[in-house]
Amino acid sequence: MIENSFNRRDFLKVLGWGGATVALSGCGNTSVEDGREYVTSYVETADYIIPSIGTYFNSTCAQCDAGCGIMGRVREGRVLKLEGNPDSPINSGKMCGLGQAGVQAHYNPDRVREPLLRNGDKGEAITWEKALQLVSEKVASANPGSVAFLTGGVSGHVKVLLKNYLDAIGSDQHYVYEAVAPSVVRAANKKAYGVEMPRLRLDRAKVVVSFGADFLGTWVSPVHFSRQYAKFRKGVNGERGVLVQVESKMTITGANADRWLAIRPGTEGILALGLVNALSAAGLTVPAEVAAAVKDYTLDRVSNDTGVSVEHIGKLTALLKDRSPSLVIAGGAAEGYAHGSQNAAAVALLNQVLGNVGKTVEAPASMPFPQMAPITGNRSSLQALNDSIAQDGVKVLFNCGANPIYSAPASMNMKESLKKVPFKVAFAHYMDETAMEADLVLPLNSSMEGWGTVVPEYFAEGAQLNIQQPLMEKLHPGTLGMGDVLLALLKQRRPAEYSGYEDYYAYLKNAMVAIKGALGGENEDDDVFWDSVLSQGVVKLTSSSNALVSSASAAGLQLPPPAVEDGTYPLRLIPAVTPNMRDGRHANEPWLQESPDPLTTIVWDSWVEMHPKTAAKLGVVEGDIVEVASKNGAIKGQVYVYSGIHPDVISVPLGYGHEAMGRYSKGVGANAFKILDPVFDQQTGELAMYETRVKVTKAGKRVIVVKDEGPAGGNQSGRRIALRMASGKVNLAEEV
Amino acid sequence: MYRFLRLSVLLVGLIAAVGSVAVHAAQPLTTADDLGPVVDQPIEFPHDRHAGDAAKGGMQINCMYCHTYARRSNVAGIPPLQKCIGCHRSIESVRETPRIKKLFEYWEAKKPVPWKKVHDLPDFVRFNHERHIQRFVFAQEKPVQEACGYCHGDVKTMTVARRQKPLSMGWCVSCHQKDHPVSATSTKTTHGPNDCWQCHK
Ligand code: SF4
Repeated sequence: MIENSFNRRDFLKVLGWGGATVALSGCGNTSVEDGREYVTSYVETADYIIPSIGTYFNSTCAQCDAGCGIMGRVREGRVLKLEGNPDSPINSGKMCGLGQAGVQAHYNPDRVREPLLRNGDKGEAITWEKALQLVSEKVASANPGSVAFLTGGVSGHVKVLLKNYLDAIGSDQHYVYEAVAPSVVRAANKKAYGVEMPRLRLDRAKVVVSFGADFLGTWVSPVHFSRQYAKFRKGVNGERGVLVQVESKMTITGANADRWLAIRPGTEGILALGLVNALSAAGLTVPAEVAAAVKDYTLDRVSNDTGVSVEHIGKLTALLKDRSPSLVIAGGAAEGYAHGSQNAAAVALLNQVLGNVGKTVEAPASMPFPQMAPITGNRSSLQALNDSIAQDGVKVLFNCGANPIYSAPASMNMKESLKKVPFKVAFAHYMDETAMEADLVLPLNSSMEGWGTVVPEYFAEGAQLNIQQPLMEKLHPGTLGMGDVLLALLKQRRPAEYSGYEDYYAYLKNAMVAIKGALGGENEDDDVFWDSVLSQGVVKLTSSSNALVSSASAAGLQLPPPAVEDGTYPLRLIPAVTPNMRDGRHANEPWLQESPDPLTTIVWDSWVEMHPKTAAKLGVVEGDIVEVASKNGAIKGQVYVYSGIHPDVISVPLGYGHEAMGRYSKGVGANAFKILDPVFDQQTGELAMYETRVKVTKAGKRVIVVKDEGPAGGNQSGRRIALRMASGKVNLAEEV
Repeated sequence: MYRFLRLSVLLVGLIAAVGSVAVHAAQPLTTADDLGPVVDQPIEFPHDRHAGDAAKGGMQINCMYCHTYARRSNVAGIPPLQKCIGCHRSIESVRETPRIKKLFEYWEAKKPVPWKKVHDLPDFVRFNHERHIQRFVFAQEKPVQEACGYCHGDVKTMTVARRQKPLSMGWCVSCHQKDHPVSATSTKTTHGPNDCWQCHK
């Protein structure tokens, strides 16, 4: 009887227990690797290096353009963890999650490790000598003007070398492309205040009204703004600052606000002008010209157009009138329309009328070395490159830090366009979509292996120059720094000037020492100066700043009425910039995929976010797979129902849906860039990111959304990690 | 009924298995020596010559002269090659002996000597040299060789070091349970921590 029912499986289980215990005690739980493992000592080392104790080296975060100062904890020659550098005015010792993932960019298993030359569909490994030789041949045989560089935002000494190289070959084609950048706001600021990005003093404001600027999550310099926000919340004399966020889709900043106002997409400018009018009616002195221009923006009309109730507009007006200084910021949600410039100008006007210019809107410090000042990227320069390619103006294209094949809308057809360039060189960290199309791929050092200087795009206080220095030896001998490659190319062109520098490090040190007077080291010995620069990681520069234009003017402000609904494509698509993914260039760092999105808590996938009313109208619930189709393409995604979004819009996060890049990003989610409609801001020509009209249809299946929220850590999509189970239901025999 | 029988068989099996744990896992709570394997090293380093008593031809060098990290870190560390060379550069008498020649070969190639581990603990154990050295050598003013010897044995009599003690949990605990004075001058006594998390973090 027993034999029959006591089957082999049960027997094995019992044996399993016994076997396991024997194994455990058998190892004597000690000295597991005696005489087998090596213990490697240093050959030579500094006194301050103590095995098992971390040493911190200062450097600069390269995960976004904010340029936060970092300290890398290095132990036994390996960088383990990053912290913020407390001496950097930008981040005062703090960092964001994206920055933390920098170590995963460095240790990433999908990094390109050696130069690859295209041979049919494959990349063949070649030596650097051969690669550089090939580059110089191709450049020499091309018409000098037809050599072009496509980069992301660049600054510091690499920018100087890049400019010198282009000068040396006689080309002026340098295109700086950023898929997600506040370009329209910059242009509007330039008009209104005379500078592209004034210094915003959240810490001095008593009220902040942000029109879709996600300054705590993704906008311009989020860590810096978060620090300021903390002071703003503490308030001046105990008067806690009040944050009102106006946007059509909630951002992490919106989630932190005291009042979140869902506005009809595209009507941000109307609300701003309505507020000017209401403030003028409430007794604020407004220039006659401005008052006349906004007099038609009556409460009722504005409320009707924007969908913000009369009551809330009234409260907002009272708040702004009572509490001064305030600060009004225009962000991605205001600028992403065909009339984005107008929206941003209306918001700037509101700031001026409120008298904030000079109080919370300050002149930024200017960079005393303009040749090193950052070039900020935008999208229209990609269009310019595209035009140049179309006119056969590009024969050799260098691409560094930009991935247009992934991030340009399908309507630009970048892939086909790049095919027309006979020789494409990609400086690459990963084999991303654009590197896949290159003829020659040159692998770059990670930011933790190379030397460099970085000038942040947004100065927190005075001007500053950040140092990037290796936190450890190169992981792969076949990679090089961008500076080293440019130097090698320049040596071929201008040997007299550059052959004296053995490598980029030598060049950098020399260049820094040459200007040590301006960097605060005039009385120091060269080496002492250089060592102190490296140990601080940040050089503060003496800089001046120009006064801002503060006179308010409504000249040229032309706001269109709210857009009418499109019958076939009734919804508007908001491509969301999330704190983890941003524009998707770091999607292959698994921490960013694994850490839940702060608002939806979804991991490892993209989603289609919609209001419960919209979902009800479409007849879908959470987890339904839907197709989001625009005139330019369609993507599929899982529905996520959330009330922090206007019922007229749906939102899909950017950064997912890579077709190449690496094992953690390829095929995860869908790429929302691809279906964007080619609508442009009328004044700057920037892509209007929020103008895409879509229709949403159910595409069959329903899945379980993998997310953290909800009881017992949400639903884990059948992954059976820590499932909840009633104790009476537990089958012990199965728990082995 | 079958189910019940089956379960009891399982339970018997389990109890037998647990019993075997008890038998196997009983660690000697003594400090009896428990020799580790003989480990072949790339250079047969003579601890006796460096640290041994002068009467027996030793130099009586303090353990912490070479294992300098022991008092400052979790790990005692193997000295950097630079340290060996620092002395041996000016000891002409042994410069041409095979071991020293080999040492200089590593130095000239700027390669570390591939020493093999002699003392290793499982990854779930966090032993801290600093705490022990600070307590015994600096607070209680015990001779260095005695303090190191609690765990490493009488290294000054060995050439290549060999593990002398079991380094098992029971063996650690046997010492942690003993009272000892908190410092050289104090009459107050204490014993080593016995919380799990002190070592298993
Ligand atoms: S804000 Fe940008 S620079 Fe600063 S820590 Fe985050 S990713 Fe790095």
